[in-house]
Amino acid sequence: MRALALVLLAVAAAPAQTAPPTRAEELEQRRNAEGGKYGDDELNTVEKAIDWADDKRLLERLSRGVNGVRLVFGNLIPNAGFALGPEYYRDELRDGAVQLRVGARASIRKSMLAEAELLFPKLLQQKAYLEFYTRWRNLPTVPFYGPGPDSRKERRTAFRLEDASYEVGAGVQPLRGLRLGVTGGYLQTNVGPGDDSRYTSAETVFPAAGVPGLARQSDFLRGGVHASFDYRDYPSARKGGFYEARFDHFEDRTWNRYSHRRLTLEAQQYVPFANRRRVIALRAKTLLTYENPNQVVPFYMQPLVGGQNDLRGFRFARFYDNNALVMNGEYRWEIFSGLDGALFYDAGKVFPRRSQLNFANLRHSAGFGFRVNARNSTFLRFDVGFSNEGFQIWFSFNDIFGGSGGVAQSLYTTRYR
Amino acid sequence: MRTVRRAATLVLVIVASLAAQRFRPDDPIRSEPAPRDIGDHPRRKINQYYDFYRNQFTGPGQSNEDPGGPFAAQSVNTLGEVLDSAWFTNRNLSHQEIVQGPTRKGREPDTSKPWTVVDAKSEGVTPGLEIIDGKGSRYLLKFDPVSNPEMATGADVVGAKLLHALGYWVPEYYIVHFKRDQLVVGKDVQFVDQFARRRKMRERDINELLVRVARSPGGRRKGEYRAVASLYLPGRGVGPFKFYGRRKGDLNDFIPHEHRRELRGYHVVSAWLAHHDSRSINTLDVLMNEGGKKYIRHYLLDFGSTLGSAATKSKSAREGNAYLYDFKNSAINLLTLGLYIRDWERAHYPYYPSIGRIEWKTFDPEEWVPNYPNRAFLNRLPEDNFWAAKKIMRFTDEDIRAVVATGEYSDKKAESWLVEVLTKRRDKIGRTYFNQLLPLDEFRLKDGSLTYTDLLAHFRLGEPVKTTLQWHSFDNTTGKLTPLAGETTLKVPSQASGGPDRYWAAQLTGPDSKKRVTVYLRGAKEIVGLERTAQ
Repeated sequence: MRALALVLLAVAAAPAQTAPPTRAEELEQRRNAEGGKYGDDELNTVEKAIDWADDKRLLERLSRGVNGVRLVFGNLIPNAGFALGPEYYRDELRDGAVQLRVGARASIRKSMLAEAELLFPKLLQQKAYLEFYTRWRNLPTVPFYGPGPDSRKERRTAFRLEDASYEVGAGVQPLRGLRLGVTGGYLQTNVGPGDDSRYTSAETVFPAAGVPGLARQSDFLRGGVHASFDYRDYPSARKGGFYEARFDHFEDRTWNRYSHRRLTLEAQQYVPFANRRRVIALRAKTLLTYENPNQVVPFYMQPLVGGQNDLRGFRFARFYDNNALVMNGEYRWEIFSGLDGALFYDAGKVFPRRSQLNFANLRHSAGFGFRVNARNSTFLRFDVGFSNEGFQIWFSFNDIFGGSGGVAQSLYTTRYR
Repeated sequence: MRTVRRAATLVLVIVASLAAQRFRPDDPIRSEPAPRDIGDHPRRKINQYYDFYRNQFTGPGQSNEDPGGPFAAQSVNTLGEVLDSAWFTNRNLSHQEIVQGPTRKGREPDTSKPWTVVDAKSEGVTPGLEIIDGKGSRYLLKFDPVSNPEMATGADVVGAKLLHALGYWVPEYYIVHFKRDQLVVGKDVQFVDQFARRRKMRERDINELLVRVARSPGGRRKGEYRAVASLYLPGRGVGPFKFYGRRKGDLNDFIPHEHRRELRGYHVVSAWLAHHDSRSINTLDVLMNEGGKKYIRHYLLDFGSTLGSAATKSKSAREGNAYLYDFKNSAINLLTLGLYIRDWERAHYPYYPSIGRIEWKTFDPEEWVPNYPNRAFLNRLPEDNFWAAKKIMRFTDEDIRAVVATGEYSDKKAESWLVEVLTKRRDKIGRTYFNQLLPLDEFRLKDGSLTYTDLLAHFRLGEPVKTTLQWHSFDNTTGKLTPLAGETTLKVPSQASGGPDRYWAAQLTGPDSKKRVTVYLRGAKEIVGLERTAQ
């Protein structure tokens, strides 16, 4: 009896030190010991926060706002400084058939903007649009270095540009990528002393006689036509091209001195290689003005060159004149998904007469940059441009060349969707 | 008293010897223990952004670099085969069964009556619709992007069938063609529209949604909507699984996921199918209820990013060839100004919108990567790769051709290209991983001799491997191999006999003496174990 008890005791004690006799039992034991006891299923604080933001569509809400009210940043002129303001934006009215946008912004350098837009984007089975737009701006720090291509960097001044515009535009997209549009409107302009503590006001340096529009400003009736063909793959293009022609007419309704027409031609071509991991982006753009007889182009409506969208080694609005030519070449390569590196070369000039549209007397700049991409768009562009006037550092929140259609080299660009 | 002590000592010796035994009496087993009832189980979320961060930057789970590593896979039997479980099933299907996949006749959406739309996914490039058909079955309808008709739906169907045949749990996908009037909005159905508003769904919402999807490009179906209908899984979804760790509360989840061969091997499978999006978010744990017993089954989901498809567009060349972020490669790219161009960046992709971007010439299974790393994939050892390659190589050209045909591609050239790509990629996988170890498998005892298949030769991937053989006696307790003099042929040695407590081993060595396969026999009648070494 004692023997049996001892044997049973030995058997009973054995499992504590030994594995079970069969594989199935071994797995069963392991399951009993470990199953369900381990795991990091509890969300930690960071994951909870990310999950909450994701769940609540926080980014979407921030961009869409609360009941249509949201904060918007920037979108003044490049040297206006950080700008911020409220906007009421409704793009879901009548299921997206009507969009309304009303907003205002102010910058740390006292620039201000207010605008309102009513858009019908889905006319004719989404092939046509109609838009009403009005804008008021007060920009007290617009740089001016003097007229013409030979202006000097040291003579930087500032002036105040105040304007109000009222526009109506319409367009059709008869074929994929092809857009045709017309626009018309009224523009009120006013130029005053600059309000930039770093620079003197323009009128104290430049005589009004040599700078049309500095002393007297006008209201303009404006109208224009537009055609573009866009077959880029994405906004942050790696393939395809964008070709555009615009013709705008500005009729002076105040002094009958500043009526003119402007032709804008732009070509962008993107040449990919290495399976689109590399791309060479090319852009050529010219703005040519046609003055009416006995009329001149006011300086604040002249094409201008310099800045993050054209000659990146020069300051914003470094050169003003009646005509402009800009050419850019940029080599972009993927560093990792979401970040591209870029090497670029820019050339361009302003010139008084259209006959000077050639490659002589170009200004040059070159540099490097990085593009932070998300969903095939660039949301942050960092460029360092070098030129014979030193170097410039740019942070931009748009695609190369100023995004779709490019930001025109003028303070007055006709809006086309 | 002396007798008693002897008996007790004997018992302890027996038990102790059992503990140390390499092979147990029931080896090789075929399945994990039958699932235990775990009762109700809460749903778990995995945030995709956090999942990326966690896997990309923190390296969770037990790594082969950790002390004690590398760690062999644990969800296997002594032959190295993955055990049947809630994760995986050794299906060994016939050609017809492979082609049929998980689908069953009569379970496709019933088109004789309108489908009731009960929910919609309106955000994103390609929308989705949740429907209930006339028989009351619930499906998720997924569509192709306008730029690539047939691409994502074809990939879903083909990918699911191949994964099912391999042994994974996948949903049933059916390609459906329908006209607009097949869909009706259910009563008082609420949904979140493209403007992030939760509101009642209207018929017009369906119209607007369908504007953004591709239609059948040709044939008698031209102009009809084409979608893949995913039948709802038979259970309650409780969230995705992770490729590391275990699920707390799941009593049946006792093997760390990073040590599951089926998940390690899923890397090789993903490489074959170009499934760059093989991550947690595309998996689902489903709480099954079988006769009152509740347990979790682990599904792979959403194969719209397999083959040449990236679901909403063609794959980019990067996908499958580079992580979203990789410090070393990023540094190289940065410092070389992008002038260092890799082979995959030179790859040529024929233009087939219905297939997307996939090729085989620059494909290298060892270099293939998903969008971001996960521990199970990183822990792969040559034995895991070998297992997966073996599974993949079992698909014949005819199997692949027939499965691809179920993708219903209207461009037959595109379909042929996809077949070519899958067969060539399959062969590259076989060649790569069979060469990492001695490519011998399918060991049998026949007429007193050991037989095997040289996989490289069998699949015409290379010359037969020359091997030498040495028989040993094997001590199942100490693990000691003792050579049997002169026993160097496939014939089982005459002394290799005895009862089930006697073990023998045939050690085959390749031209590279580091590569060996040791085949363990119990009583000279039964193969109980395989051990492959490459070092």
